[in-house]
Amino acid sequence: MSWELFHAAELVAGGVGAGLPDPVVAGLRSASSGYAYSVSVVNALAREVLEGSLPPLWVAGEVTGWKRHTSGHCYFSLRDSAAQLRCVMFRSDAQRLPTDPEEGMEVLALGTLTIYERRGDYQLVVRELEGRGVGGLWRLAFERLRAKLEAEGLLSPERKRPLPPFPATVGVVTSPVGAALHDILHVIGRRAPWVRVVFCPAKVQGDGAAEDIARAIRLFGRTRAADVLIVGRGGGSTEDLWAFNEEVVARAIAESPIPVISAVGHEIDATIADLVADVRAPTPSAAAERAVPDRVALGRDLENVRSRLEAAVRWRVAERRKELGFQSDALVDAIRGVVRARRERLLRGVSKLEALSPLAALRRGYAVPLGADGRVLRRVDEFRSGMHLRLRLADGSVRGRLEDVQVERLTEVGDGWGV
Amino acid sequence: MAGESEGDLRLDARLRRLEEIVAALEGEGLELEDALELFEEGIGHVRAAREILERSELRIERLLEEDGRVVLEPMGRDPK
Repeated sequence: MSWELFHAAELVAGGVGAGLPDPVVAGLRSASSGYAYSVSVVNALAREVLEGSLPPLWVAGEVTGWKRHTSGHCYFSLRDSAAQLRCVMFRSDAQRLPTDPEEGMEVLALGTLTIYERRGDYQLVVRELEGRGVGGLWRLAFERLRAKLEAEGLLSPERKRPLPPFPATVGVVTSPVGAALHDILHVIGRRAPWVRVVFCPAKVQGDGAAEDIARAIRLFGRTRAADVLIVGRGGGSTEDLWAFNEEVVARAIAESPIPVISAVGHEIDATIADLVADVRAPTPSAAAERAVPDRVALGRDLENVRSRLEAAVRWRVAERRKELGFQSDALVDAIRGVVRARRERLLRGVSKLEALSPLAALRRGYAVPLGADGRVLRRVDEFRSGMHLRLRLADGSVRGRLEDVQVERLTEVGDGWGV
Repeated sequence: MAGESEGDLRLDARLRRLEEIVAALEGEGLELEDALELFEEGIGHVRAAREILERSELRIERLLEEDGRVVLEPMGRDPK
């Protein structure tokens, strides 16, 4: 058996050749006649054969039993309907994964076949792992973080704060190299040159980028060095923009006491940073436009305010003048009313007086006899023949002498005259 | 925090005050004397705001943290 193994090993290793171990050196001899190899030697041999015979491979399969060890290494298997392949992804490679794959997820793994000598397990050492389907692991990582932040309420529209309409200072977190800063300065310089720009450089891609962006956002928050914050970078691939999909950045934005405008390149869908930010702009230039008012429009607004001020004062003065006019009219009316009332009362008195006047009776044809002494003669006994009297009529009086007085009495009834 | 001198009211403060003044003047119940006073104040803010708009020098500063100390240093438009 071991003889055969030796033989087989020799045959297989024939091409690999160079370091075929000497069984004597290995210190073992078979019971029968041939040499025997130690397990270690066999595994080393097998590993050498396996590693030397195949180039790195892309393997398609379904992930099962994914386990991320505390060391950072990841262990799992790939399988299809008929077979399984053990895989390992070491920390240095695994840490570049946006997230862990889900059980059963279809993936593509790039790796080399090897044997783990201590256990004699045959396995694929995976260097790269991609999810199949749209977005793959990136999409998965994105969706996982989004679901988590959503559950915490960090994405709700009520959390969005309004931007200050007229910021005095605009903070910028982006790379010191690249077009983003240049574009932002250009737009602010054109629209609102009185604004102060405070720039905090941050690494926006590669290892540690997310932490650096979060640090810069928090520095602004701590120092309140701006009224509004633009956080972003120009466009790039999903991987280039990945820092803006990481939780540290999302949390730094969510916790920022200063309103944040996200401005992450325009070639992809929203990033997590976009979802958490108070305002999402498609590019750094667009973010700058959202951040500051436009000088020309503001000038027009000011002109508008000035004319409104003038109109309001003019209207107020006119209003007061009109009020004054009303009141003086009312005064005149009141006086006229009093005069009119007096006149009417006077006229009423006059006509009453007229109705009572004896002249009215005279006008109706009556005459009043007056004695020589001017007294009114009221009774028949007061008339004597030969006496002088005067008759008062409506249009004057007549003097004369009574010649022959004949008295005819009427029956006296009470104080008046009865018939 | 603001780079302007003390008496120099920031643009946003002036614009906010202008909004208040316009609202008061266009509203009810204001004595004419008060209205005239507000009007003069408003025109002052309009003039000052216009002056701010005319400024053409964009000020850029770099925010850095060195050994736990926060530093703001002026920088040119070219970040390098």
